Amino acid sequence: MIAAFLQAVVNGALAGSVLALPALGFNTVYAVLRFPNFAVAGLATIGAYAGWVANALWGWPAPAAILAAFVAGGAAGALCDAAALKPLRPLGALAAAIGSVALNIVLENAVRFAFGNNPRGYDLPVFRDWRFGAIGIGPQEVEDAAIALLAMAAVFLLLRTTRIGKAMRAVSDNATLAESKGIDPVRVAWAANILGLGLCGIGGMLVALDTSLDPLTGFRVLLSIFAAAVVGGLGSIPGAVAGAFVVGIGEELSTLVVAPTYRTAMGFLAILIVLSFRPRGLLGERAY
Amino acid sequence: MRVTVSRRSALAGSLALPFLARTGFAANAIPLGAINPLTGAGGAYGPSMAKVAEALVARINRTGGVLGRPIALDVEDDQTNPTVGVEAAHKLIDVGKVVAIVGTWASAVTTAVAPLCWQSRTMLFTVSGADSITRLPHHGYIIRTQPNTHLQSGRAAGFLLQHESKRVFGLSAQTPFAVDSWSRLKEVLAKGGATGIGDIIYDPKQTSFRSEIDKALAAKPDTLFLNSYAPDLEILLRETYQAGFNGKRFTFAYAATDAVLKALPAGVTNGLWSFAPSPDVTSPAYKAVQAILGISDPDPYSCQIYDHVALVALAIAKAGVASGVAIHDNVRKISQGPGQKVSDPVAGLKLLAAGKEINYDGASGPCHFTPIGDILNCKFLFQVVENQHNKTLFIS
Amino acid sequence: MLDYLVSLSVFAGLYALLALGLNLVWGLGGMVNLGLAGFYSIGAYVSALAALHLHLALPLAALLAALLAGAAGAALAVVTSRLKGDYLAIVTLGFAEVIQLIAANEIWLTNGTDGLSAIPAPGRGKLSPFHFDLAAAATVWIVLALIALGLVRLSRASYGRVLRAIREDETVARVAGKRVLAFKIGAFAVGAAVMGLAGSLYAAYDGYVAPDSFDVLVTVLVVLALTAGGVGNMAGAVLGSALVVALTEGTRFLGGLLPGLSALQVASLRQGAIGFFLLLLLRLRPQGILPERMRVHRLDG
Repeated sequence: MIAAFLQAVVNGALAGSVLALPALGFNTVYAVLRFPNFAVAGLATIGAYAGWVANALWGWPAPAAILAAFVAGGAAGALCDAAALKPLRPLGALAAAIGSVALNIVLENAVRFAFGNNPRGYDLPVFRDWRFGAIGIGPQEVEDAAIALLAMAAVFLLLRTTRIGKAMRAVSDNATLAESKGIDPVRVAWAANILGLGLCGIGGMLVALDTSLDPLTGFRVLLSIFAAAVVGGLGSIPGAVAGAFVVGIGEELSTLVVAPTYRTAMGFLAILIVLSFRPRGLLGERAY
Repeated sequence: MRVTVSRRSALAGSLALPFLARTGFAANAIPLGAINPLTGAGGAYGPSMAKVAEALVARINRTGGVLGRPIALDVEDDQTNPTVGVEAAHKLIDVGKVVAIVGTWASAVTTAVAPLCWQSRTMLFTVSGADSITRLPHHGYIIRTQPNTHLQSGRAAGFLLQHESKRVFGLSAQTPFAVDSWSRLKEVLAKGGATGIGDIIYDPKQTSFRSEIDKALAAKPDTLFLNSYAPDLEILLRETYQAGFNGKRFTFAYAATDAVLKALPAGVTNGLWSFAPSPDVTSPAYKAVQAILGISDPDPYSCQIYDHVALVALAIAKAGVASGVAIHDNVRKISQGPGQKVSDPVAGLKLLAAGKEINYDGASGPCHFTPIGDILNCKFLFQVVENQHNKTLFIS
Repeated sequence: MLDYLVSLSVFAGLYALLALGLNLVWGLGGMVNLGLAGFYSIGAYVSALAALHLHLALPLAALLAALLAGAAGAALAVVTSRLKGDYLAIVTLGFAEVIQLIAANEIWLTNGTDGLSAIPAPGRGKLSPFHFDLAAAATVWIVLALIALGLVRLSRASYGRVLRAIREDETVARVAGKRVLAFKIGAFAVGAAVMGLAGSLYAAYDGYVAPDSFDVLVTVLVVLALTAGGVGNMAGAVLGSALVVALTEGTRFLGGLLPGLSALQVASLRQGAIGFFLLLLLRLRPQGILPERMRVHRLDG
């Protein structure tokens, strides 16, 4: 029983580690632009395909493929935002959010048009789990968790130490005040999008490595990403990572008591409970 | 307000444009519809099904058509959603006046579309697996080329017994046939002295099945029965490998597609068994599907839709009339019975034109149907994965 | 072609009902309730089960469906009373997911993923398919007109003004002595009941319900319909729904214009075009085709 409990926690943490990076990207964008960008699903998919092209077609090693995923997600995301979502933002967060749903439909189908629906595989090995007694841990997912934590630290440092990072924080805290201090909101928006959506691109590749790479790769985890970001606190950088682990572990623990098909339902119950006590998420809405 | 109205009507006008701009086929063409899951959860299957149907129609048209008339095929996407499927069926039946609809895949789409078909006397050819479909009051307007659960699971269990599986655990996607197929499998296993030690029904939309796999492996099975579709099978294969499982794995050929095998490293998929209702492997129909898709190992649904189109064309040729009723009345006359065996629909059309009787054996199997539209007992092809490809073990 | 347009008008009417329900909660009350697929599903299943097992006539089954969906809406409003904006959105989206899971798993009640088929409806089997569709379209649009009329009256009455006040500033409304929670629960319940009614009509028209019928697609379409038509405006909700059905179905005819593409590419272009048109519309008519202000203006004039 204790082994089963521990294994569920481990499995949940592994599932959470896959969600953490796209959730982090989602919250980075939210922190600065103050709207939920649902196009992260399509952008994660685009990142995953970019990584696939780099790795499987061009033979690049994993780190280079991850970089390709970042560049593709960030570039495509920032450009799409400038073209489609930026004009909607003055109308309110909701208009931009709904626009991002429509944008996501466009992106998903652009990928489908170009690559078809058949699943693709990276030219990367699959490793057996490490076994610690009765508990198994996947090296791939540990790597995902490490990348997510590294990315979180990097974003944290970037916000803390660089000029553009400080500008992003200022906008996040109070956009009007920041503008009056001479911070260019357009530049900050570009920076936030490239950073956040680039991270979504990497996240998409990690999700694809763990699940399957097809035009729905990002969409399948969209609800979980949104849930993780909301639970952690919208716009909170550490909150995104914490939220991902809460959602992942909550869902897995529930399989000890209810049928596994109800796992998602239990995940939402956990979200409801968390939000009932902390209506602004675990860590609130400040960037950090 | 006036301005708004005129703008609105301008908008309405521009929306109506696509309706008016339909490109017509030859006026005497026989209208045929296909509803395939081109997007959504069934997206792994629909595109190749559509491709096969289009290629066969093109070939029939090149070689003189049916009764001297070309076939005009309209492929619609159901987005793997029953409501969208119904809308597509309305378009095909009400606007296109199709004589038949081929290739519905998801059981929910087929069940939703079926009443529209039998009420309008449009023949429906499906690949859906739910046993309940042929039990609908369809008055003979449904033909299903996918074997039902009872037939499939019985043969699967026989294969496992033959390969000395003693302890079988089932992992089944939540589908209309998940429960039935497991109970049938368990029943046959028990007769042969093996045990179905347990099964878990999972939600195929999940992105990880680690907990399910842990539970399954805790029961110490020697064989996993993976009742899956392609996207979830890919995850299950990877995760059972990661979890260190070294036993046997058995699944359906429609899940172990070429694309899934290519997407995973050879070490992960080697030794995976799968099975499908079998064609004669030397069958020209099967070879035609291979050629159309450019792969050695076409999935069973692509083979089945080839037969759907062939059956429609042959039944119309036999009847001498292109209508849903004609197909309904004649499909069994050309698919089973004493006539000359043919596997090439174009050759079949020639024989029919010459007044001969035929018995079409297709890319998916012999195409013999019961009165309610299920396929009669058929042979199955069993295969094993070696180095990212399915290799035929035997047909029985 | 006429039969096709009639059947599409049924779907447009159903989406319009959903959009009206959403408009009450979201447009007037400002609460982002994305659980509509859940209420739609509850309505459809309740009505189907009532017709199949209790042999209730459609009007009674529909009433029961609306009542139970409304009760579920009230319950969800109580549970989520502290949540706002995106936080409310995720929990209500989750609610719809949970309902879909229950529909798929509680086989004893819902027949699982097999779904419930052969749901009776007045005239089915007796009327020709075309006449059945005509009757269905007439029923749906009459119900729609009645509901729209009722909701317009409600929104112009003091109830609607209080809801709008809550939307604009909850604290002010509370200070003004309004029982904010009761108003919220009421809006949720009425909105959900309208959605449940739509579900009941859907089940009767299609004769078949399955969990797959209530996936997130319907939520996306209705939210887009309401936004396109004009959030806060009942006529906008109806117009937006017609527009969305015209878009999704009209694009089916684009395939013939694009020779040389595979069916998959045509399908992805079709869906991409739907997304693109909606983005364009949001850009050109950001308040929707019939903005809320316009209605107020007309009232004043």
